[in-house]
Order: sequence, then structure tokens, then C-alpha cells
Amino acid sequence: MNRMAIAVLALAGLLIAVYMLLYKVGVLGRVACGTGGCETVQASRYAVFLGVPVPAIGVIGYGLTLAAALFGVQPGRAEDSRIALALIVLGTTAFVFTAYLNYLEAFVIRAWCRWCLGSAVVATLLFISSLREIPRIRRAV
Amino acid sequence: MAQRQRRSASKAPSSSLKPFYIALAVIALGGVGWIFYSLASAGEPAVAPIELAGLDDPAALLAAAKGSELGQPDAPVQILIFSDYTCPSCQYWVQTVEPLVKQEFIDAGKARLVHYDFPLGGTAQHRHSFIAARAARCAEAQGRFWDYHDILFGRQGEWSPAPEPPIDEFVGYANQLGLDRRAFSDCLRSDQFADVVSASRQLGESLNVGATPTVYIGPRTLPGNEWSQYPAVKAAIEAELGGS
Repeated sequence: MNRMAIAVLALAGLLIAVYMLLYKVGVLGRVACGTGGCETVQASRYAVFLGVPVPAIGVIGYGLTLAAALFGVQPGRAEDSRIALALIVLGTTAFVFTAYLNYLEAFVIRAWCRWCLGSAVVATLLFISSLREIPRIRRAV
Repeated sequence: MAQRQRRSASKAPSSSLKPFYIALAVIALGGVGWIFYSLASAGEPAVAPIELAGLDDPAALLAAAKGSELGQPDAPVQILIFSDYTCPSCQYWVQTVEPLVKQEFIDAGKARLVHYDFPLGGTAQHRHSFIAARAARCAEAQGRFWDYHDILFGRQGEWSPAPEPPIDEFVGYANQLGLDRRAFSDCLRSDQFADVVSASRQLGESLNVGATPTVYIGPRTLPGNEWSQYPAVKAAIEAELGGS
């Protein structure tokens, strides 16, 4: 059940990341943003991390998480500690990276992108869900 | 028998996962549908103010409106102007009064000018107010706000009466200034800076701006018979300098 929740969250995050990536690379000319902070955030130099557009990092991260969760819900995989470990690592990485991005929005860029905030909520819930995989690792050790 | 049962248990039928897969498919279809809808409506430039939330705080509104400044930041007198690029009176200010203000006060470090957009819209004459303001902001993103601002007013008679948004004309002006044509065009054809221009308009409304140009010298609004006469503008600036 937990991995199903992780899969759903990862899919939501993946869709957000794809949407923002299409905007970042110019396929989408506009993004639905209300207060208008999305353009400011995406146009800032912090929208690229180590040469990679941040939304692309989201696509990769959420894609891997979705794949791991889907693999993990298959019959016979419920107690697979490798999947549990992968979900914990991915969830924690997503949470830490998202926290860094939120810090940049709040204190450096001083603009809020609602889609980035949506992704932050997803990443936080993913992280919390991934912690529930810890007992599976303990049982395997 | 026990082995067969164990094998059956470990490879439990995936029918219990069916609702989960259906839920995933629904979410995926919804998300992909939204993306395709966005793609289909892409390329439409924002031509009218957008509704902004969270700008009840005056400080937030001022920050969102992002006035375009000319002159030294520490100049003692601040001149605010709310202006519309389709407005003939604004054109008069820009071409007749502003150059004199710039020469005597702004270049001397005695005053700074802050431009806010107040797109009138609403009538055929002002139908391109908003996109013109956005065009100037797109030029500002490449550091050429005031040059583009002057071109828009200088060629107002050419683009303002156009029945459709004069996108190609605006891109042409950007080309003349040597701006990155692709970046400018992408900016103009999107909704970039729709928020800034809308916030600027909202700021003007909060100050009861009802017409353009509305000119403030310090805290004082100049009436129409004053802002259009350079001697009166000069006197107002000097009075403000005397008091500061």
C-alpha cells in the first residue's frame, strides 16, 4: 500500500516536472502560474543545476522513483530490501534537493513558483512515505 | 502441493493491483491531457491584464510592479509616472517634457524617473496598451528598456491603430535595437511580464490613477496643466529639491 502511494506521488511529481521542463526548454511558451513567479524563478540562474535544467533533474528523479515503486508493488517484491533502500535514497534526495530549491526561492530569488511548491509538497510526502520502508531494511539485515 | 501453494502465493494474481493501475492511468491521462492542452494553446501572447493574488500588501504590490528607473538611485527627488504607450498625451510628455527633465535634473543626479505601466485598454485606441507594455519589459530583460520605450512612443502612430496585436512590428523594433531577436520574440509571444504589467496597473489603481500620464513629483501629483508645461515641472522639482 505504501509503495502504491509512492507510485502515485512520483507520477504526480513526474507530470509537474515534465510540464516545467517543456516550459524551460521553450516548447511551452507560457506556464499557468497565477502570481507570475514561475517565470521569474525559471528565468533565474538557479533554474539550472550543474548545467542541467532543474525540471530535468525532477523528471529523472521522479521517473526512477516511479519505476522503483512500480517494481516494488509486484507480487513477491513486497519485502525486497533493495527496492526499499532505493525508495529511501530517492525520497531523501528529493526532499533535500527540494528544500534547497525552496530556500533559493525564499531568500535568493525572492519569488515563488507555484508548480515548484507543488513539487515540494510531493517530494515531502514521498520522503515521509519512503521512511516507512525502513522496517523492510531492518528485517533484511 | 505445499510448494504449489507457496508458488501461487508468491505470484499472487495481479488483479488486486488493477484498481491501483487504473488510478495511475487516470492520473497519467489527466496530466498528459493538461500538457497537450497547454501545448495547443501555446504561442498566444498575453494581451490583457491578468488577475493577481496575494498583492493586498502595499509593499508586495510595489515590489511586484517593478518600476523602470532612469537616473541615480540616490537622487533626492523621485519622479513617478504612470503611462500608457498608446496614449497621445504620454507621447507628448516623452517627446517634449521628459528630455528637458532628463537634461537638467536626471543627468545632473538631482532626480530619478520611475516609469510604471498603466495600460488603459478597453477601447480601440488603447487595445494594444498591454502588449506594448510587455514588449518594453521584454526589452528591459535585455537591458534596453528606455531605448525601446522611446521607440514605442516615437512610432506610436504606426503600430497603435493596427487591428491585430502588432507582434511583428514590435519584434522589428527589437531587431533595430540589436536585441536578441529570438529571446525577445519568445518573451513577447508568451505571457512573460504579464504579471509585472498587471501589478503595475494595480498599483496605479491603488493610488487612484485615472488617466495617463499621471506624474508625481515627490508625493505631489501634477495636474494636466502643469505636467505638460516644462516650466511648471521644473518649478515643482526645484520646490521638492528645496525641501529635501
